[in-house]
Amino acid sequence: MSTTATIKTKKEMNLWPLALFIGGGIIIALGATGSINKYIQTVIMFIGINVILSASLNVVNGYMGEFSCGHGGFMLVGAYVSSILSVLLFTNSKWLGHPILPPSTAVFLFPVIIIIGGLVAAVAGLLVAIPSFKTRDDYLAIITIAANFIFVSLVNNLEFVGGSRGFMGMKGTVFAMEDVFKAPYMLFWTLTFCSLAVFLIKRLMRSTFGKGISAIRYDEISAEIMSVNTNHMKLVAFMFSSGLAGIAGGLFAHVMGFINPASFSIMKSTEALVMVYLGGMGSLSGSVLSAIIFTILLEAMRPLQILKWVLIPLMLILLMQFRPEGLMGNKELTDKFPRLKRFFTRSSM
Amino acid sequence: MMLQIKDLKVRYGNIEALHGLNFEIDRGEIVTLIGANGAGKTSTLLSLSRLAPPDAPTVFEGDILFDGESILKTEPHKLVEQKMMALVPEGRHIFGNLSVQENLDLATYAVKEDHQFVQETEDLVYNLFPRLKERQKQRSESLSGGEQQMLAVGRALMTGCKFIMLDEPSMGLAPVLMYEMFRALRELNKNGITILVVEQNAKVALDFATRGYVLDTGEIIASGSSDELRNNKDVQKAYLGG
Repeated sequence: MSTTATIKTKKEMNLWPLALFIGGGIIIALGATGSINKYIQTVIMFIGINVILSASLNVVNGYMGEFSCGHGGFMLVGAYVSSILSVLLFTNSKWLGHPILPPSTAVFLFPVIIIIGGLVAAVAGLLVAIPSFKTRDDYLAIITIAANFIFVSLVNNLEFVGGSRGFMGMKGTVFAMEDVFKAPYMLFWTLTFCSLAVFLIKRLMRSTFGKGISAIRYDEISAEIMSVNTNHMKLVAFMFSSGLAGIAGGLFAHVMGFINPASFSIMKSTEALVMVYLGGMGSLSGSVLSAIIFTILLEAMRPLQILKWVLIPLMLILLMQFRPEGLMGNKELTDKFPRLKRFFTRSSM
Repeated sequence: MMLQIKDLKVRYGNIEALHGLNFEIDRGEIVTLIGANGAGKTSTLLSLSRLAPPDAPTVFEGDILFDGESILKTEPHKLVEQKMMALVPEGRHIFGNLSVQENLDLATYAVKEDHQFVQETEDLVYNLFPRLKERQKQRSESLSGGEQQMLAVGRALMTGCKFIMLDEPSMGLAPVLMYEMFRALRELNKNGITILVVEQNAKVALDFATRGYVLDTGEIIASGSSDELRNNKDVQKAYLGG
């Protein structure tokens, strides 16, 4: 029976990538022609970054059922690594001197430095994951909070990256790219990395490996005695998740043009957690949806200034009261609306 | 000898739980480990399955030999992957929010490639426990205690291991279900599955097993065939109610 099922899925054509491609293309085209203003573009970029953040945190907190709350720390690592590389390689700066490479190469090398930032963040994730093997639940939460604080204090005290004053100059790279060919690069790369991240997470969770990760959430002891290598799984899931957070950090740094350690404090980690729990643990479409809603909500409440930090927690409390499983629970959008699935997944026969 | 336990000493933190166990199990046997609460029965099984410290005790002395080779350094998932031993843990530990079928599928994590084996074993499990077949699509959380226990045993079979360790399979089961469970286990044994069963219910365990060990505060105080143990005065006094 299972073999027929696999044959069937092979014959199905998935229209999701096409829909994403068209949607992203329209947004980028509108951005390039200036039909949507810079502010809206920035909001869209933040949505993209937040989608990466919440979806990647969902791998650990949702699918694997562990509680990590130091996502901001990994974002910081990715942001600083890719920013330093970017300033060092492509721009003229007071601290790091003349560009090492011709600035025009940034057009091709920009995604590379973002990915390097992600890789370094993944290594940082590895360093945090190893001591957390012997712990569970609350203890992992404590370790990750501690790691978040360590990363922030470390950068606060590193004078050559600006310490608590922050680090800037990444806009230079963006301008260098625009000098070659005028296009909304950041919008393009944010949407691309965002789609890639969601696609990767979806593939990972559908694979046998992903089933193993879910098994850890259901019952860790059982997973182990059903021949799932739980240590290995935790390690990979954690590295994967923090690597994606690093990518989000790199993009964030280049969108803002300025970063300081305080932007990646426990507050940022909390935002990521809020998005995961708002969307529902173990639901990828929930994470995406909640990141979109949360970002728009934050922007919409900007006129309320500090009062929004009264309203948003209040809304969370209400959400937990009336819908404790989050917007989607652990279901996907296509489970709730089977029609959507039928529309996007046509049989090619 | 398939499994040899030599002078096994384990501890939780600083507290020694087993003070040097020695026992062995041969292929095709049904062996029971009986004892009162806190005697170290579960600790023995957990250390055999090599689970890591927060869940299981640390072995600090002695050796566990499987087919003559030490498995002290083997990780628990490797034990299952190499089809050495499967554990049916105390309290069942089934995947509650998955269906019965999904639970069984998950257990084939290591043998997935072998479609024929998976199909045959699935048939075996459903033949052995027809109730599971009826509840195939049901969330396993909603099964009764007995059915959950059946599922836990079925899941252990699906791993392809020929040696199964059961921790208190009778716990929380009505007598009828308990006897049904032991009947199924005996049938499995006839198909060549070696069974180590840990029980508090000494009477039932001795009726079921061919050989047994009596555990008391981390030491084996008596051993022998089921009949010998049943007639042993000390065992009678302590576990069989005089």
